[in-house]
Amino acid sequence: MRQTRPPRGSRRGSPQLRLRMGFVVIAMVLSVFGARLVQLQGLDPNSYAAMAAAEGVQNVVLPAERGDILDRNGKPLAGSVDGLMVVADPQMTAEKAPELARFLYHRLDVDYVDTLRKLREPGSRFEYIARRVPATKATEVVEAADAAGFEGLDTRRDPLRDYPVGDVAANLVGFMGTDEPLAGLERTFDHQLAGTDGSARYEVGGGNRIPLGESTVTKAVDGQDLRTTIDLDLQWYAQRVLGQTVESARADSGFAVVMDSRTGELLAVADYPTFDANDPTGSPKEDLGSRAMQDVYEPGSVEKVLTVSSLMDLGLVTPRTKIVVPPQLQREDRPINDWFTHGTIHLTLAGVIAKSSNIGTVLAADKFEQGQLYDYLSAFGLGQPTDIGVRGESQGLLPDGSAWTHQMQDRIAFGQSVAVNGVQMAAAVNTIANGGVRISPSLIEGEATTDTGDVVGTDTTTKRRVVSAAAARDTMRMMERVVDPEVGVAPGAAIPGYRVAGKTGTAQATSEECGCYDGTFDVSFAGFAPADDPRFTVYVVVKNPRNGGGGGSVGGPAFAKIMSYTLQRYAVPPTGTRPSRLPVEW
Amino acid sequence: MPQVRSRMPRIAEQAVERARLTVVPRTRAQAARMPFVALVTMMLLGGVVGLLLFNTSMQQSSFAATALEGQATTLAARQQSLQMELDRLRDPQRIATAAQRLGMVQACTPAFLELGSSTVTGKPCAADGSVPFRITPPPPVKPAALDPAPHVVHVAAPPATTTRTPQANAQDNTGAGDGRNGDGGGKKNQQQHQQQQNQQHQQTRR
Repeated sequence: MRQTRPPRGSRRGSPQLRLRMGFVVIAMVLSVFGARLVQLQGLDPNSYAAMAAAEGVQNVVLPAERGDILDRNGKPLAGSVDGLMVVADPQMTAEKAPELARFLYHRLDVDYVDTLRKLREPGSRFEYIARRVPATKATEVVEAADAAGFEGLDTRRDPLRDYPVGDVAANLVGFMGTDEPLAGLERTFDHQLAGTDGSARYEVGGGNRIPLGESTVTKAVDGQDLRTTIDLDLQWYAQRVLGQTVESARADSGFAVVMDSRTGELLAVADYPTFDANDPTGSPKEDLGSRAMQDVYEPGSVEKVLTVSSLMDLGLVTPRTKIVVPPQLQREDRPINDWFTHGTIHLTLAGVIAKSSNIGTVLAADKFEQGQLYDYLSAFGLGQPTDIGVRGESQGLLPDGSAWTHQMQDRIAFGQSVAVNGVQMAAAVNTIANGGVRISPSLIEGEATTDTGDVVGTDTTTKRRVVSAAAARDTMRMMERVVDPEVGVAPGAAIPGYRVAGKTGTAQATSEECGCYDGTFDVSFAGFAPADDPRFTVYVVVKNPRNGGGGGSVGGPAFAKIMSYTLQRYAVPPTGTRPSRLPVEW
Repeated sequence: MPQVRSRMPRIAEQAVERARLTVVPRTRAQAARMPFVALVTMMLLGGVVGLLLFNTSMQQSSFAATALEGQATTLAARQQSLQMELDRLRDPQRIATAAQRLGMVQACTPAFLELGSSTVTGKPCAADGSVPFRITPPPPVKPAALDPAPHVVHVAAPPATTTRTPQANAQDNTGAGDGRNGDGGGKKNQQQHQQQQNQQHQQTRR
């Protein structure tokens, strides 16, 4: 057949022409393809990718588990639980609404009337019935509802943050809002705790993954745990003792700090009133923080300890230095008085501390040269933030050189005109307990980075010598006289069998509104035990007690209870040595 | 050959002429076709069936994987719920409440018994629970309308009513006054201290 056909070329023109024509056609087709390619890939690639993805491809977020906040023994203060929300489609539930509402009321503990209204909401197809329900419970309830013939209930992921100990350490830990941390360590260390969500993308057919289909998985990076130095049981005990103390004294508020004398680790930072971290909205806003860190107040007589140890470090006085204390001391235009009325009395420096004499302290502080007291108090850490990782810490107020008058020095010497926060003052007193070396307090075990980029924790602890070991020991011996039942002002702080060193404080409180003393008092007690080998420093502050109590009678017993419990808990036996018998009078 | 040559394009014709190709004589006999075709068919069939089986088994393991994943999620959720329950059971507040219900009281000052030498360090004392330890916050103060002052009726003689009323009152009072005596001793001392401290500070301010 083929032989009979004439050659094609003759009828269809020259091959060159045909080739050219062919090339032109191919070029036209290719440029159409090219234009389409640019349109698909260059101009609007995402919408096509999305359309492709919609065909059976599933994108799933792999949630990162939020890290726990732990106490020093690994017990959780905050933990994450897989949670679900129970949602309803009112179009399907409206029919059997009363029965279903009753069922949910019994099983999920939701409000009956509210749920009934939601189940019958006209025009809606999505209503929240219960949020943040533990996954097992939510699944169980929805399955039970299905079995009972109720339709229209479903569950969705809803991570749940659980605070198993409620109000214990809530002042430090903070709490979570619906989606983000709102306060405390939760917020400060959110970056570490949160982790990074992963994602998975795979094709699905009939609810199962298609084996050879597209499948990409980016694994979630779980958040890291945050370990604090808080001792959960001690924190609980301190909070309850403090609560009882504040309530019995009919006071406004209070806080207590327990510190390991040797390491500066904070074992408890209790606040009262505080809030339940599982229900932060149930408490007033001002209770949602930590007063121990965020309030400033004048430390009062507790500060005398710092003044006197500084004087001894300079070698200007000894515990037996004799001081004649007049009934009143006229300083420039203002008189200085003691809390107890007396004639002219002869006290030793130990007696000045034991009896908490303002006049005696001021007379002793006259030996300072200009600027020396300021330098010592700065070295004790006053006026500087402790940077332990608690949000909104107030750094206190220590007037600097230019504002420092002689009259001001007199007041600062016994704890007025200087403001501190609780942990700052506890660390300052702890300097005496730690043999004159100030050790920076810490709340985080190891180290962690705050949201402002500061690295905090026990690994960043700093030490610096403030006063000599001898000065610290002599100060301790004087502080022991404070709890002496015969000569001291705070026998209630004594722990039978142990040597306890402490100091009371009663200071006028300032009001934020008028910026002046408002007639109320902050009473406090700071001390450590065993006095000759200190293990713990406890500082208790109660604000505005209305039962007429002072630092010794309100703070002292609370100190003794918390200290006894701590010594017992950490099995610290008494040292068995004799307490100091320094003379208080001459 | 002529057929082939006639189909050659004109450009190549002269070259073909010049090459003067001759047919190479056939040296071996053609192999039997059947076994080869059968082999290829078998391989194809085997491959297809194998692929099918492989796919099916993969699909099956995919079902199993989905089921196991679901189970793992359920078990993980269950583990978390149980952990949560355990944490709640270990809550010191719960333990303290249970202990108080059993009649346990706070320990007195710590003391140590050394077993080796049988010596006691510290000053042991009996825990008598004389100072109640309050572990729950006091109930909120009721407004006056909900908490009226007790209406006490003094009745002269009938014994039946007199025994009932004071009992009810007494119970109310202990409930409200509980925990107020946590201050310990030195009440008088406190008052004095505070008053004088007041004086001192007021005077200092002047």
